Amino acid sequence: MGWRWFHEWGSPKWFYDRAGRWQRVCGFLALALLLVGTLWGLGFAPADYQQGNSYRIIYLHVPVAFLAQALYVAMAVCAIVLFVWKMKLADVGMQALAVVGFGFTVLALFSGSIWGKPTWGTYWVWDARLTSMLILGFLYLGLIGLRSAIQNPDQAGKACAILVLVGVVNLPIIKYSVEWWSALHQPASFKLTEKPAMPASMWVPLLINLLGYYLVAAYLVLASMRTVILDRERGSAWVREVIERD
Amino acid sequence: MIEFQFDSLFNFLRMAPHGIYIWPVYGLGLLVIGGLAIWIRYQHRQAIRKIRRIMNRESIHEPKA
Amino acid sequence: MSVEHRFLVRELKLVLARPGDFFKPMWFLILVISMVPLALSPDSKLLGEIGSAMIWVATLLALLLNADQLFRDDFVDGVLEQWLFFNRPLFWLVILKLFCHWLFYVVPLILVTPLAGMMLSVPNDVMIALLVTLLLATPALTCFSALGAALTLGTARSGILGVLVMLPLFVPVIILAAGVLTRASDGSDILPLLALLGAFSIAAATLLPLAVGVALRLNIGGSS
Repeated sequence: MGWRWFHEWGSPKWFYDRAGRWQRVCGFLALALLLVGTLWGLGFAPADYQQGNSYRIIYLHVPVAFLAQALYVAMAVCAIVLFVWKMKLADVGMQALAVVGFGFTVLALFSGSIWGKPTWGTYWVWDARLTSMLILGFLYLGLIGLRSAIQNPDQAGKACAILVLVGVVNLPIIKYSVEWWSALHQPASFKLTEKPAMPASMWVPLLINLLGYYLVAAYLVLASMRTVILDRERGSAWVREVIERD
Repeated sequence: MIEFQFDSLFNFLRMAPHGIYIWPVYGLGLLVIGGLAIWIRYQHRQAIRKIRRIMNRESIHEPKA
Repeated sequence: MSVEHRFLVRELKLVLARPGDFFKPMWFLILVISMVPLALSPDSKLLGEIGSAMIWVATLLALLLNADQLFRDDFVDGVLEQWLFFNRPLFWLVILKLFCHWLFYVVPLILVTPLAGMMLSVPNDVMIALLVTLLLATPALTCFSALGAALTLGTARSGILGVLVMLPLFVPVIILAAGVLTRASDGSDILPLLALLGAFSIAAATLLPLAVGVALRLNIGGSS
């Protein structure tokens, strides 16, 4: 039983078929959850007594920012799987995660920046979380650039894996040092989520949105992986069959 | 506990005074995520088209081989 | 003659054979520093305040100028493949190479920074702190840029890609060094932060060559 599971995950064809189904499920669930969560957060959650209505941005910003970091960690897991078990699927996952992760990082940066205007008066502040997010964006960009620069896909995969692993070890160090740097130069009142405990009517939609964006990311990553698999396995018989079927 | 926080749809859209910040953020979210989804779909179709072209090219050469 | 001895002698000969590569970063540093008063103001008090940070950034950029060349010449000449046949682990050869690069290119550059400090009216105690932070931080920075160079070795016109890939990883070192410089200009104790910087550098210099070795192997042997 254990070996069958291992072989299944090593087979691109098996994954391509399954992922198609998972992708659809994730997509629909994500849509439903985001609709409910966003409308709830925008329309039905009570206004914050400090920030008024502008805090409603957190229903997008917080899940997206969290996912931007989580997707990087997921890439690191793929890198380990690639090196230890030599599963090519892990490299495909890494490739897909880089693009989706970068998109989420950009979204987190812009949403955080726009939220800054009513809260602090300017569109950009060098606070710890925004600065860390910016550096995370550069890390993602480096990965995407490296992947596109190396022609051989196996080599590109391994090179990106090395970069991800070095990056993931550095990530907590970077975050810690940026927080330290920020505390040195700015008063503590610049914290983004320094709030008293939220009532349930506020954090329940946040949770719903978190789950929704997580499923959106899953949908995007699975869809992207399937495309990469098609391209990489284009010489094989099962791909020809799939193309002819459609 | 759960009730609509705004007394009219117009006020909901205004989100006074922060509507001008909130709605662009969510619009951007829709743009980025929707854009990614569309782009990935487009890549998928490009990949299929490319493979089909390769298959056609090979089948043309086959009778001559 | 041991492997190490031959290695060092060869690296020294290469440096002497290409004086251009030796002087270019220094030239770059002085040029960039000269731009700062022109772009800002000749007010020596203002310059003194930001001078150390400017010199740090300019030195960083000057280092990155040569970073791409780290392995490229040896790679093109086929010397890199011979490394696999020396009776030494690959990461040890990487450490040797990086040590030579640091000693022969980076340290001379650091020795030029007092000149830049004088141009920007940097106070003496800050200048000393600057020198120490550069000496402590550059081993780590050299190792990081070596990783970028090794990863992009096979690519055709990488040029700046190796640098871009590595720059985010410099952040902790930059922040630590900046912390030391701020403390130095305040007059407070810089020793604990220096110790932290030194520790980070040692950790990077021991761990990163392993990753650099793996990255080099990717390019030397093709995909293994």
